[in-house]
This record gives sequence, C-alpha cells and structure tokens, in this order.
Amino acid sequence: MEKSLSDYIALSKNIDELKHDKKLKVAILSSSTLNGLNETLHVKFSELGIDYQSYLGGYNQYNQELLNSKSGLYTFSPDVTFVIIDVRNVLGDYFHHAHDMSDDERKNLAKEKINELQNLIETFENNSNSKLVITNLNVPSYSPNGIIENKLKFGFHEMIEEINNSLRHILKNHNSVYMYDFRQFVSKFGEKNVFDYRQFHLGDIQIAFNLIPYLANDLMSYIKPMFGINRKCIVLDLDNTLWGGIVGEDGFDGIELGDTPNGEAFVEFQKELLVLWNQGIILAINSKNNDNDAMKVITKHPNMILREKHFANIQINWDDKAINLKKIADEINIGLNSMVFFDDDKINCERIKQEFPEVLTINLPDDPSQFTPILKEMNDFQVLQRTDEDKKRGEIYAQQLERNKFEKSVSNMDDFLKNLDIRVNIKKSNNFLIPRISQLTLKTNQFNLTTKRYQEEEIRNLSNDKKFIVGCAQVFDKFGDNGITGVFIIEKDETSWFIDTFLLSCRIMGRGIENAILSQILKDAKDEGMAEIKAQFIPTQKNKPAENFLSHNGFEKEGDSWIYKLNSEIKVPNHLKVETE
Amino acid sequence: MKLDEVNAIVAKVFSLPESEITDESSPETIESWDSFNGLVLVDELETHFKIKFSISEITDVKNVSDIKRHLKNHNVS
Repeated sequence: MEKSLSDYIALSKNIDELKHDKKLKVAILSSSTLNGLNETLHVKFSELGIDYQSYLGGYNQYNQELLNSKSGLYTFSPDVTFVIIDVRNVLGDYFHHAHDMSDDERKNLAKEKINELQNLIETFENNSNSKLVITNLNVPSYSPNGIIENKLKFGFHEMIEEINNSLRHILKNHNSVYMYDFRQFVSKFGEKNVFDYRQFHLGDIQIAFNLIPYLANDLMSYIKPMFGINRKCIVLDLDNTLWGGIVGEDGFDGIELGDTPNGEAFVEFQKELLVLWNQGIILAINSKNNDNDAMKVITKHPNMILREKHFANIQINWDDKAINLKKIADEINIGLNSMVFFDDDKINCERIKQEFPEVLTINLPDDPSQFTPILKEMNDFQVLQRTDEDKKRGEIYAQQLERNKFEKSVSNMDDFLKNLDIRVNIKKSNNFLIPRISQLTLKTNQFNLTTKRYQEEEIRNLSNDKKFIVGCAQVFDKFGDNGITGVFIIEKDETSWFIDTFLLSCRIMGRGIENAILSQILKDAKDEGMAEIKAQFIPTQKNKPAENFLSHNGFEKEGDSWIYKLNSEIKVPNHLKVETE
Repeated sequence: MKLDEVNAIVAKVFSLPESEITDESSPETIESWDSFNGLVLVDELETHFKIKFSISEITDVKNVSDIKRHLKNHNVS
C-alpha cells in the first residue's frame, strides 16, 4: 500500500540526512505542475539511505532548461534527469486544433515534434553526463472522430503514437537515455483517475495528487539499479506460497496446484517467477518441511512449473528460517541485501525482518490470486542493461549446485580441479563483449586488483586505443558454460606492460583460472619482447581474496607497484586448458 | 459526528497539532496553507469522505468553516 501524498510531504520535513552514505543529484523538468513529486522522491531516497539533492525546473520551462547550455539545470550538474512531459503542453494549441488539420499536416506536425524531442535529447547529451529519463505521451481516449478515428489516413491518435514510436527509436541509439512509458502508467491507473479536470483547471495539474506516489515509485526503478540496490535473488517458502495447503498434512494429491481457481493462482505465480528466472533472477527455497514430501512435489507434480533445476539453492528442513536464509546467501555467494524473501507466515516474516532487515521480506496475503500482482508491482528487479550472462544466470547457478555436489564427492581439491575439465577461452574486447566487460568492472569487488570502475563508453574507448589491451575470459567446464567471468586491461609501453585491471567473478574463484589468465598475459608480453610487467594492488574493504595473488605468482614488490621480470620460465597451471582467439 | 474529523485532516496536511485548528483557521493564520497544499487538502478530504467538490466550492473556501459548510452540502454531517 502506498502512503498518501500528504504523508510524503509531512515525512519529507523530518529527514535525517546524516545517516545517508550514498548521494544522488536529481533534476526534475516537467511541462505541467508536478508539485509533491520532489518531496515524495526525497522520502523514497531517504528510505534507501541515499542523500537526495534536487533541482526543479520552472513550470513548463523544460525546453529552455535543456537547450540553454548555461541553464540552471546544467549548472546543477545532475546525476539523473527526469523529463516529464504531457501531450497537451507538447502539442500546445494543436491538442485541439490538430483534429481539423489534414492528414498530411498532421504527419508534418508529428515530424516537427519528433525533431524537437531529438534535438532536446542530443543537446542534453552534449551538455551533461547525467542519465536522462524522458516520458512518452499519453494518447487520449477521446477522439471527435469517434469510431472512424482509426479509419483516417493519418489520424490524431496515430500522430501521437508516431511521436512515441520515434522517441522509442531515438533512445535505442543513446545508451544513457531511457524512456519512461507514461502511457502504461495511464493505462495501469486509468485516464479518468490520472487526469482530473478540476485539478487541471485549478493549476495545470495533469497527474492527480493521489497518484504522484505511484509515479515516484516507478521513477525509483531507474534509481535502484544505479546504486546496485536492485534485488537479484528470490527466496521462496513452499506451503501456501508455491502451492496451496501443507504437503506434510494434505499429501501429494491434497495440495492445491492448478485445476481449481486457487490452484491456478499458484500456477500463475510460478509462471511469473519463471519469467524472472529467465531474465537472470536467482530462485531459492527456504521451507520447513520433510525433504522427501516437498521434493516429490517439485520433481513429480504434473502442474508444478518451477522444477529443481530452477533453484540455485534448496533448504528444506526444520531449522530456523533465518539460519537457512544465511546459508543460502553464503552458498550462492550473494549479499543479503540482494535478496527478497516470500512467505505466507507472518511469524517467519517477522523473524527474518528482525534478524536481517537488509533482506526485503514480503508477507504474502491469504488470497493467492494477489501473489502475482504483488510480484509485478515490485520495482526491485530492474537493471539498466542486460547481458547474455544475466539471462543465463539461473542456468549457471544450477550448474554450480552440480559442481558443489561433485566437489563433495571427490576426496581432494586437486582431483576436483583436474576432473572439472576447465577450459579458459581468452578473448579480445569487441562490441558484443563491451557491455559485459564494463558490468564486471562495475560490480566485481572481491577478486579485483585495482577496483577501477569503467562505464561502457570508457571500455569502448580503451578497446579502440592502440596503447591498451582490453581482454576477457570465458570459462567452461564439464558442467557447462560459466560465461564471461574474468577481465583484464593492459596499458602498453615501449618496454613494459602495466596491468591496469585484473578481476575475476567470485563464482569461479579458487580454481586456478586467475593463474591461467595471468600466465597467458605474461606469455603474450614476453612474445612481444617486453622486459617486465608491472602491476598494482589497491586494497579495499572487500578485495582481500586478491591480496596475495601477485606475490604468489612471482611478482616482486618495488615501492607501490609489483614487478614481474620476463626473463624466466612462465609457470602454467596444468589442470586446465587455455585457448586464445 | 463526521464533521469533527475535518480538523484532524487539516492538521495532518499542514503538519500542525490538531489543537491549533479552529473554524477560523485560514491561509492567513496557517503559514503552510498555500495554493498547492490547499489542493492536497481537497484531495485528502475527498478521499476521506468519499465525495467530490466542484471547482467553485474549492475556490470559494476561505477558512475551515467554509470547508465544513460545503461538506454539509455533500451530506457529511
């Protein structure tokens, strides 16, 4: 349930800025009156521990703000800019007049408006490093042409749709510009609720007050992934969460899953979870149950959508749910603050909330038909970009489970590594790899020598620079493809190379892969006639796993940097195969 | 009486203790009662009493007693 706008306004007056460790500068430009949005965002930022600084453009001044490079907007230097425009003000008099124009005139008007928007976006990109979120236009439900509106050669509605389509198209070529689908906001809440003629005449208010908190909530979808405070893993209870009833009491045939209206609601919920899994959201189970009873349903029930392979970790036992949750986090190596926990039991939810406030706990209601809408309302699973690795993540974690089982079945580490059949494929950066390479530099904390963060654009520039080598490693083993999981960036000099970045995703640490990648770099440098390679270790709170990597691989410390002399034999790990492209 | 609830809503919207709200409270006596917060108040009242004011009722309000008078016209008593 959202709070009301007046609640947000009251809360915004009592925000303690001191407790925030992150900060963000937000600019809001709008074509109509949007009072209250600023206060609501301020509260929502504070709830996430982000210090909020804002700049509000003057009423309907968005054109001037965006076009004038000396405007208050650019002086403020925002991190994120929201441009919220509405169809009435964008079309001006044409909002009414366009109905009595010819088809060709409407076509020209659409072109003119598209050019204006494109110009705004490009001017903004040239003047600011901020991310830009711009709305599309609502298509009014009314047309004076009534039922023949859609028979016109180029009607009023089609004209607005054309502007929207072009806007969508333009944004595909601008990496840091996003479209907020205001049309879908209107269709979700209904035009009659969003647009109140009284508020419109009283103060050009085009989004009703009571819906401003919901708009703010949607805009937060862009903020959360910028700070990595999006959620990556959903932990699920079983009884009355994935199916109706209690399998331990009602039995395999007694639970509700499919076939009845309630049962269908659980199936629908599972289908939506599967959709998220396919987008790279990790699923796990945390249930108080007899393992045999529950696993029988998961593996054998004909209406079960989610099967064993969809879960990266399964904890079915009678232990404390908080202990199980911690175990899941540790075993799949993911932060508690990346997790969402779904349970129908109030006491379990309270227990988790108390023990791990950083986990987002959702107490499901009694009515299972509400599970799916609750899941769909969440704005916690957003990403600003999606790589192939993200889409394969579920599969990758399922393989990890197999790998862990295998590790337990062999007697020692050497046997385990030898029998994994690891293959490391080292690739040079290219257009397809750039998003993933950037993503790894942005989020890898543990095995990372220098923790230098690079946006996509920067990786692209380095990849085109002859003085640099940008490379990455794709790792395969007998259980499957681990994806692109290692990155290195080398700065080349006349006589030596410098390792600017060297990192490895935490899920493949400890298998000698880092040594294999490094020895390949050393070999390449030697082949090019280099005398030495320099490297650096910049300690952070999290990169202890990489602390001794250089010294263990024959680098010697000299002042602040580490040096490897290329005059000796290069050690190569023998339990894995290295391929270069 | 439902009309008694008006003062509490006014107090909430303008972030004041309810004891400070009287029938004579107005934009002159309450600093935060500007045109925007006035409209937020309208929204809160409409949601609470499940009614819709007309534009002229909204623009006519000069103090809390006017609000109560218009609410009576909407059968809130």
